[in-house]
Amino acid sequence: MTKHGLVIDQERCIGCQACAVSCKQENNVPMGQFWNRVLTEGGEKMDTPSGGYPEDGGSGSLDMQYQPTACQHCENAPCVKVCPVNATYTRDDGIVEIDYDKCIGCRYCMAACPYNARVFNWDEPEHMPEEGTGDVEARPQGVVEKCTFCSHRVDEGLDPACVVNCPADARIFGDLDDESSTVSKYIDKYETDQLLEDRGTDPNTYYISGEMSPGRPQTSDKMESELDDVSPWSDGDDDVPSKEADSAGGESSGSSHSVEGGEIPYATPAKSGGDD
Amino acid sequence: MTDGKAYRRDVLKAGGAAAALGVGGGGFLQTLVESEEDQPSTSGIESFVGQNDVIQTVCSPNCRGKCPIDVHVRDGQVKKIEPHPPEDEQYKRACVLGLSHTQRVYDPTRLKYPMKRADWSPDEPNPQGRGPDAEFERVSWDEALDLVADKMQSLKADHGAESVLFHEGSGNYGQTGKSFKRLASLFGATQSAWGIDTNVGRGFNRVTGVGAFLPPTNEAEDWENANTIIVWGSDIFSSQFQMDASKILDAIENGAKLVVVDPVYTTTASKADLWLPVEPGKDVHLALAMMHTVFEDETYDEDFLRKRTTAPALIRKDTGELLEASDIFEDAGENQVVAVERGSGSPVALEPETGGAYALFGEFTVDGVACETALTRLRDHVADYAPEDVAETTGVDAENIRTAIRWLATRGPGGIAPSYALGRYKHGHIFGQAYAMLMGMTGDYGRHGNIHAHHSGGATLAAGDWASPSDADPGPSLTFPEYPDAMIDGDPHKIRAVYSIESNMMGNQFPDRQRFREAIRSLEMYVVADMHHTDTVQHADIILPVPHWFEQEDISSGWGSHPHLGYRHKVQEPMWEAKDDYYAIRGLAERFGYGDRFPETKRDMLRKLAGRDDDIDFDTLFEQGTQKKESVPIVKYTDEFPTETGRIEMYDDEAPSEEGVTFDVPRPLEDRTADDYEKADEYPLMFMQKHSRFRIHSQYEMLNWVREINPEPQLDIHPKDAKARGIDDGEYVRVYNDRGEMVVKAKYNDAFQPGLVNTDQGWWSRDFVEGHLQDLTHNEVSEVGQTMAFYDVRVAVESAPDDVDTDKYGSDNPRGSGAKATPTGGD
Repeated sequence: MTKHGLVIDQERCIGCQACAVSCKQENNVPMGQFWNRVLTEGGEKMDTPSGGYPEDGGSGSLDMQYQPTACQHCENAPCVKVCPVNATYTRDDGIVEIDYDKCIGCRYCMAACPYNARVFNWDEPEHMPEEGTGDVEARPQGVVEKCTFCSHRVDEGLDPACVVNCPADARIFGDLDDESSTVSKYIDKYETDQLLEDRGTDPNTYYISGEMSPGRPQTSDKMESELDDVSPWSDGDDDVPSKEADSAGGESSGSSHSVEGGEIPYATPAKSGGDD
Repeated sequence: MTDGKAYRRDVLKAGGAAAALGVGGGGFLQTLVESEEDQPSTSGIESFVGQNDVIQTVCSPNCRGKCPIDVHVRDGQVKKIEPHPPEDEQYKRACVLGLSHTQRVYDPTRLKYPMKRADWSPDEPNPQGRGPDAEFERVSWDEALDLVADKMQSLKADHGAESVLFHEGSGNYGQTGKSFKRLASLFGATQSAWGIDTNVGRGFNRVTGVGAFLPPTNEAEDWENANTIIVWGSDIFSSQFQMDASKILDAIENGAKLVVVDPVYTTTASKADLWLPVEPGKDVHLALAMMHTVFEDETYDEDFLRKRTTAPALIRKDTGELLEASDIFEDAGENQVVAVERGSGSPVALEPETGGAYALFGEFTVDGVACETALTRLRDHVADYAPEDVAETTGVDAENIRTAIRWLATRGPGGIAPSYALGRYKHGHIFGQAYAMLMGMTGDYGRHGNIHAHHSGGATLAAGDWASPSDADPGPSLTFPEYPDAMIDGDPHKIRAVYSIESNMMGNQFPDRQRFREAIRSLEMYVVADMHHTDTVQHADIILPVPHWFEQEDISSGWGSHPHLGYRHKVQEPMWEAKDDYYAIRGLAERFGYGDRFPETKRDMLRKLAGRDDDIDFDTLFEQGTQKKESVPIVKYTDEFPTETGRIEMYDDEAPSEEGVTFDVPRPLEDRTADDYEKADEYPLMFMQKHSRFRIHSQYEMLNWVREINPEPQLDIHPKDAKARGIDDGEYVRVYNDRGEMVVKAKYNDAFQPGLVNTDQGWWSRDFVEGHLQDLTHNEVSEVGQTMAFYDVRVAVESAPDDVDTDKYGSDNPRGSGAKATPTGGD
């Protein structure tokens, strides 16, 4: 079986909003609505930290991180359970999706979702430009909508738009049921969290924090499973950059990849570009 | 699951809609997914995947990105943008703005027709009619160009060609500017010389012989080899370099230490191993303390200093001049300096790129002249700048200063990545001098992993003398800061007409807005070509509508941060009557009698320019959409330095001075950040205008998707500063000084140093409740830097008056004025 999942490396995320906006573009999301929001973990407002500005010239207690948040595609999705007309359902590949023809707009699902991932078209949806954008049909007034993991792209072997458009390579999409996939490897290797784990929703979205990962390994817009070459990090730990590099402190004379002027440059790991 | 009633529509065959789009059948046209027979969708969602025509082109603002992008078109409409990996796929890139052209291309601010200010005529320009209330009437292209050509010709006859200024901004990175300058050169007009963001490079250049805006730095692909990156005064993850964010992140992931020097706890600072919260204007003090530490620790790179710098060069103690080899050796070359060989103690002339057993420190008597080495002089100079000595001045903990520079000095190759922000303080060139020398001490030039600026230079099309043909008699040039005096007072010479392209000079780009408005009101003709109805366009007499980048083909080159040139293919034909700048330039050339000097079509011109660059083949570039310029060196500074000595100059005996301070070695000099600045009490807050991720200069201001995230100008202010003034979070405030005011919403932000406030730049007049951030900035520049000092500004802040009208940000208009069309006239 295939179970699609998303790993978001918060150490890599720079809060640039490319995922939030390209999601709107790709999915023809109405003005005023977001399927994917980049939240700031820190102060009360966007792009503000928690803590206080240092008064002694030290580094102080300021802290800020970004948490891109969309539908978590829960294994045990509360929205699916509460939908009275089975409009929200889980596909065989793990994607939680809405049949907009069936949705009656009761919004039980919005109340049930602990991630605030769903939006409701109270009014006639407004699009700019009016004719709409991206590659899916607009939804009508009176239905709930949300992130689909870009199922229309996944069905064609393409990664979700937010994943392809991330300039920080912070979003990695793949098959959680495949042990050799990059998402599975990263979940195994790095400290990852699911949001609100105590709710028992078992999301298929995982967040890396602490140690930074190498990020999405391919530049292609295709899903990893569609590429001829397996990802550079899928054939063993040798290719995963070592943790030792991180331990070189201020007194150390250099890290593991230092290069002298006349030497051959450090070879950039070849990022697989797909099969064409 | 669904009942499968939704079907994917037929997939267009490759090239099927090409003719309708006017793009021909080039290699750049492709469909995304091969056709399959109609199949029931399994998703329950009607999908258009595979139905788009995909046209490869290039995004072209002045952000360094030069991102190759794929534009998806369906039913004659741009539907979405995606990054297009170029040949060297590691340079795949794009940001939230480039991905949003889908909205920009159809925005109601786009100019549709040539227009003339209703009350302007060549003989009666009615200059007071310019400004926010000006009205325009539609004219034909021929009428517009006739009016412009006739007026320019008559000014040339009466006052000389230099009374006409050709002003070029940075709003469109293609080849148009070269033809614009070519026309200016042939006409003899005054040409614009850059006066923004040139400070740091000027200082760096004094030491190394290179550097204009920012110095060259290793290309982005090499950054992951850095072991220490000191990002200095740059929110590198929010502006300029975010499309290359992955390169710095890869370095961090590889184990590099990231240090951020910034008065603001930025996104970049939030990723740092160490953040130094420097006070505005104290960067030179900090750099000198770092030098002090390197001397104290003796961690300088001795071999590098001997081989590639003038550190061992002797300074005469009597005159302060460098001892010249020609004074000692008969066969010495010009400009050679002298070192002393250890052991023998004999003098030796220093050759470029040549190491030897030269004494780095000490006092010597040569031919009866008492001397000391340049490095000795520098060490003595920084003796007063121990980290403890500057901790209070700079606001940075002494031990953290040591840690930062120790990482750079001892962990192998690394670098300092400053931004232009440091040069936005009046004497910012001194920092350029200081860090160039500091990196000379640590030997961080010419190696993999070295970094010297917060973006690399990428590939540029070498077009030879196209902009200034050998038979032309070009007029003088005028720097931006000199404009007002020239327009108003005729100093150094009177400017009577301006032809402006690619620039929102009266909106976002120039400081002291009221003074520049006065300057513009003294002109007889102001011609503005633009894509949108900007503040600058609103001040014009003649408006020339330029198409969106997707509607004008070009070669993207220059000041890009990746080593490819890009071919900007047209995605669609220009809408309405918008025409490429090249049409106007050639049209004017024809009217002036130089039509034959400009190829008939833009493509012919591009082919001709590409033909001048041996590393580029036009057809290859055209077909591929990008061509990597293999001659771009990945690692910079591997050859002899283009200074008089061929070495990094650690002492300057011909140094310029400002306000009684001589810059033989870096010496701090401040303007409004100085503690004793006369109006510091009256205007107690420093005011900066940070580049954000939501606009590039004033471009993309109109993107409604982005304005849902970032709807209006705000004043970032530390809660302590706000509360001291009785200002609540989210309240509208009046920000003012002796030049002007603006009214914006206060945003409590603990990231900001108390005493420092900020409004992100790029907003148009229509976005402010009152005034504009450029009403607060000034046009005073330093003699050496000649660079507008936007951040060297003081303001006071108070609650806005109760009667201020903030309706434009009411609940029925959540995105502010961006949701409304600016009247474009003519339709």
